[in-house]
Amino acid sequence: MMQAPDIGEVVLHHTADAWTIDFYPLGQIHLPRWEPVHMFGYPVNLSPTKHVVFMLLAAVLVFLTMWLAGRSLQRQRAHEKAPKGFAGLIESLVLFVRNDIVAANIGHGGEKFAPFVMTLFFFILYCNLLGMLPWGSSPTGNLAVTGALAIAAFLTIEISGFFKLGPVGYLHTIFPKVPGMGGTGALVMSVAMAPIEVLGKFVKPFALAVRLFGNMTAGHFVILSLFGIIFLFGELAIWNWAIGITTAALVLGIMLLELFVAFLQAYVFALLTSVFIGLMQHEH
Amino acid sequence: MHSFLLMVQEGAEAAQHAAGAPASPFEVNFGLFFWTWLVFGGLVLVLWKFAWPPILKATEERERKIKLQLEEAERLNAEAKASAEELRRQLAAAHEQASALLNEAKQAAHDERELAVKKTREEQDHLLDRARKEIQSEKERAIVSLRREAVDLSLAAASKLLEEEVDTEANRKLVTDYLANVPEMKH
Repeated sequence: MMQAPDIGEVVLHHTADAWTIDFYPLGQIHLPRWEPVHMFGYPVNLSPTKHVVFMLLAAVLVFLTMWLAGRSLQRQRAHEKAPKGFAGLIESLVLFVRNDIVAANIGHGGEKFAPFVMTLFFFILYCNLLGMLPWGSSPTGNLAVTGALAIAAFLTIEISGFFKLGPVGYLHTIFPKVPGMGGTGALVMSVAMAPIEVLGKFVKPFALAVRLFGNMTAGHFVILSLFGIIFLFGELAIWNWAIGITTAALVLGIMLLELFVAFLQAYVFALLTSVFIGLMQHEH
Repeated sequence: MHSFLLMVQEGAEAAQHAAGAPASPFEVNFGLFFWTWLVFGGLVLVLWKFAWPPILKATEERERKIKLQLEEAERLNAEAKASAEELRRQLAAAHEQASALLNEAKQAAHDERELAVKKTREEQDHLLDRARKEIQSEKERAIVSLRREAVDLSLAAASKLLEEEVDTEANRKLVTDYLANVPEMKH
């Protein structure tokens, strides 16, 4: 009997980051390795990984999409025509993010956050979708990437809040005003609430990072695990075709779900970032 | 099939362990934070500069126009309201003025009539007075002429009586009494 493959190990390997990009069976690209640099006493390896490459690819694709759509729209407008085709689709998507995610949730003065949130949405969307291509990989299935994006969102939320509310107003987001209380009671309550408020500030980006990472990784786990069924039960001579077809059907279903999740999670990340920015902007 | 998977697995594992690569998606490579910020930050800037303006230009233009039109509409509405209020105020003022004029005219007419009535009455009184005076003087004149006539008649009667029976004592007394009474009949 042949040795059963370790499906778990394959799944983890496939979803993990790597120093190489596999194009099996065509070959493998080895990415350059750099010596770790020391930052704040910790060694940090800045060598590009598979996820860095796909992240760059996503960024280039987002830029090309937007740039070409913009050019096409300008051409169409020059002829006084309504946007159509690919450019029309992109315009409607961009306007959806701008109007229904950013403006609707940040409210008055939200337009200035639109470039940031729109970039966030399309970058995450493209990163999610790249994981669905053959040989592809989702940079958003990496906790470091989603963490870095969440930190960017966190800084945007807090810094924009600080500038909007001023030092005193911002301090009140940590030491809240207690309605209906005065004097020492209010002070005690305010100080008692401070740890919760600070925790709340950090929980938001943490949830953003883990939600995106979890959704993207879990999708890949499910797809790979279902594929694993083929290899685990492939030896059963009678049922192997049925197993193969059933598994393929299941994987197709999950793939379609993943496609939806790719859009959904990009939407959720952009939406929640907008909501948090809006909460800080209108904190009183 | 089976061997293919095993081969992939073993090959990958060998390559990874040799390179010290992360073996699971739960390992966090801090280097990727910097890569993510670099790539994402770069994308934000590049899109901001080159991609969003042409896509959003038409929309922003439209929004600006709509906003301007809304403001214009609001201004016009306020103006219309103000002018309507002004008109209403003027109308009320005109109404008041008209009713004041009417009252004044009525008063004037009333005064005029009073005056006319008074004047007429005075004139009437005056005429009446004059008529009375005239009647009085006519009466006096008539009395004077009557007295003269009466004296003449008495004289004629007396002369006739004197001619016939002056000598009787009774007649003499009659004439004398009559004549004595004449001056008293003057009034």
